[in-house]
Amino acid sequence: MKNITITMFLVLLFVVLAMVFTMFQVRETESALVMTFGKATRQITEPGLYFKWPPPIEWVQKFDSRARVLEAELGETPTKGAVPIIVNTFIVWRIAEPLGFFNAVGTVSDAEAKLLSQISNTQNTVIGRHNFSEFVNSDPEKIRFEEIEQEMLAGIQKAVHADYGIEIRALGIRQLKISEDVSKDVFERMRAERNRRTGATIAEGNAAARKIVTDANSMQTELLAAAEARAKAIRAQGDAEAAQYYKLLEQDPQLAMFLRDIDALKKILEQRSTVVISADTEPFKLLRQMPDLKPKE
Amino acid sequence: MAEEHEHNQAAQGRDNAARQTDPGLNYLAGALKVSFVVLKIIMAVLVIFFLFSGVTTVGPGERAIVLWFGKIRGMGEARLLGPGLKLLLPYPIHEIVRIPVEKKVNLAVNSFWYYQKAGDEMGEPVDQKANAPPTLNPLTEGYCLVRGEKESPTAAASEGSDYNILHSRWVLTYQITDVERFYKNCFVDTSRLQAGQNYADVIKQSITPLLENLFADAVVTTMVNYTIEEAMFEKVSSVTEHVKDRLQKKLADIDSGIKVVSVQIRDITWPRQVSAAFEAALTATQAKQKTISEAKLYAEKTLNETAGPVAVELLAALHDASSDRLKQEPLWGQVAGKAQEKIADARGYRTQVVENTRANAEYLARILPEYRKHPKLVIQRIYQDAIEQVLRDADEKIVIQPAGHGKATEVRVLINRDPTIKPKSESEK
Repeated sequence: MKNITITMFLVLLFVVLAMVFTMFQVRETESALVMTFGKATRQITEPGLYFKWPPPIEWVQKFDSRARVLEAELGETPTKGAVPIIVNTFIVWRIAEPLGFFNAVGTVSDAEAKLLSQISNTQNTVIGRHNFSEFVNSDPEKIRFEEIEQEMLAGIQKAVHADYGIEIRALGIRQLKISEDVSKDVFERMRAERNRRTGATIAEGNAAARKIVTDANSMQTELLAAAEARAKAIRAQGDAEAAQYYKLLEQDPQLAMFLRDIDALKKILEQRSTVVISADTEPFKLLRQMPDLKPKE
Repeated sequence: MAEEHEHNQAAQGRDNAARQTDPGLNYLAGALKVSFVVLKIIMAVLVIFFLFSGVTTVGPGERAIVLWFGKIRGMGEARLLGPGLKLLLPYPIHEIVRIPVEKKVNLAVNSFWYYQKAGDEMGEPVDQKANAPPTLNPLTEGYCLVRGEKESPTAAASEGSDYNILHSRWVLTYQITDVERFYKNCFVDTSRLQAGQNYADVIKQSITPLLENLFADAVVTTMVNYTIEEAMFEKVSSVTEHVKDRLQKKLADIDSGIKVVSVQIRDITWPRQVSAAFEAALTATQAKQKTISEAKLYAEKTLNETAGPVAVELLAALHDASSDRLKQEPLWGQVAGKAQEKIADARGYRTQVVENTRANAEYLARILPEYRKHPKLVIQRIYQDAIEQVLRDADEKIVIQPAGHGKATEVRVLINRDPTIKPKSESEK
């Protein structure tokens, strides 16, 4: 019984060791190369469980196939018009073909060194074909920034995919700068531009304000004129309505005019008036003498 | 043969006898037996531990994928595990990868801000301006280039390549939304894992360089399309939306499984070297706005005083040739101010003139019969009443005695312009 147990244990141990040495798994994030006596003989890019001969016949080299970022150093590059710009380019890359990668570069650090060199070459070539005004321009329609990035991406993709087994998934410019000396000129220009705008702003404000005030006054005049016209129409309407009573006054026009004059007199002399009147006027002649009155027969 | 068997039995008997008599051997045999039992127990525990090592949990806010010999297990939605207890096979058959999906992570991006020494960030802005170098070192100072004004004279002179410099600080908020894409495509450096940490713990550290670079690219390519005024004041939301869209597109291009939740500008300013000019321009802008506001206030007041709140509408109706008078009437009904006064005066006049005329006519009609009978008496009475009223109302009354005998009398009277004001000498008295 004891011998059977030991035998089973040994068999199990053998099976486990055999599995450990002959089986390997490739994750979704990896790719692998099977090396036979030190020479790459099989490329594996799909995840799963695989078999191999035990070492030292075969061993497995795995690669991380996920996208990783590589940032180049900040560097000055001349544009087409010889105006220098300072750019900081980065790429997002991954190992696409482990066999090509292993044969061409081998390790990630070596790959990064080669990629940095490629970035520098592509950057100089592509930027040298474009004017500075295509990166930044007061007319947005003339800006070709994204097209330039695409051109750089296509250039570097073409250079590295076949040779290094590397896929460049994205490329970008994380810094776009100017040289230190040029920054001084830019500040001068910014100041001059700002001062010009300051003067223009004040003038614009005054002009706009004047226009608003003038418009308002003009509108006021128009409105008052319209109101006056309407008022005149109402007054005319009143005069027309009053005319219907003129027939009654025509019964004795002389008396009517007398009554109208009396009314006018009362109104005119109602306030703040000085009246100079003759003592012959009724009833002031009473001041001169007694009236000579006799009863009417 | 029989002899040999007997010899073996005899030897075994001697050994047993020796063992029974040697305590050292007995102790060694017992120790070996105990060790063997302990070893069996340890192995049994290890086997049990191995078998149950696949029992695990997915925490709240996490999603997990299970690798079956390295390949993602399941199809469709079943590939993704939600929170809860999970029964898996032991490693290396199954392997679980947990990724936080509900957590929104903030990432500060300061690569476009000017150089500050440690602790300067808390300093006064005035000090920052005073310490500003005359130029910008591209290695240490962060900034963006923004386009100049299209109509600017300097832009025309430089064939449009007029640009300015702007400093900004940003905050990016992101979230992992597609676990499978993220796991397959984004490099997470698990070599940084420390004791007690898992895959999720190093995600932020690992993907920060990728996000910082893609975000910076989105900012650089966006900002060249805006002027300083647009980026700082007029189109801030447009700038952030533009950056967000560009970044999201780049992240989608690399199948990152990362969603950009928001992009915010934490700080944005012109270079300290040109602060004085910009502040003067800002002051001018404020002065312009103030002048215009005052003018608008005047206009509003004037129009309100002229015709009330319907002034503009009424004027538009008056200008509109197609607008008939009937449509204008409701507006005239709502008119206030000086226009309304004019109309009200006119209405008063209309009422007054009509009523006066009517009253005069009625008065005349009433007195006419009597007047026809005694004209002199009626006229005299009316006249006397009028004189009485006039003299009663007059402030000063001067009665002059005529010279008589047909001679003309010259009278010189000094009359005040306003008879209610007494002459100085009189008031002193």
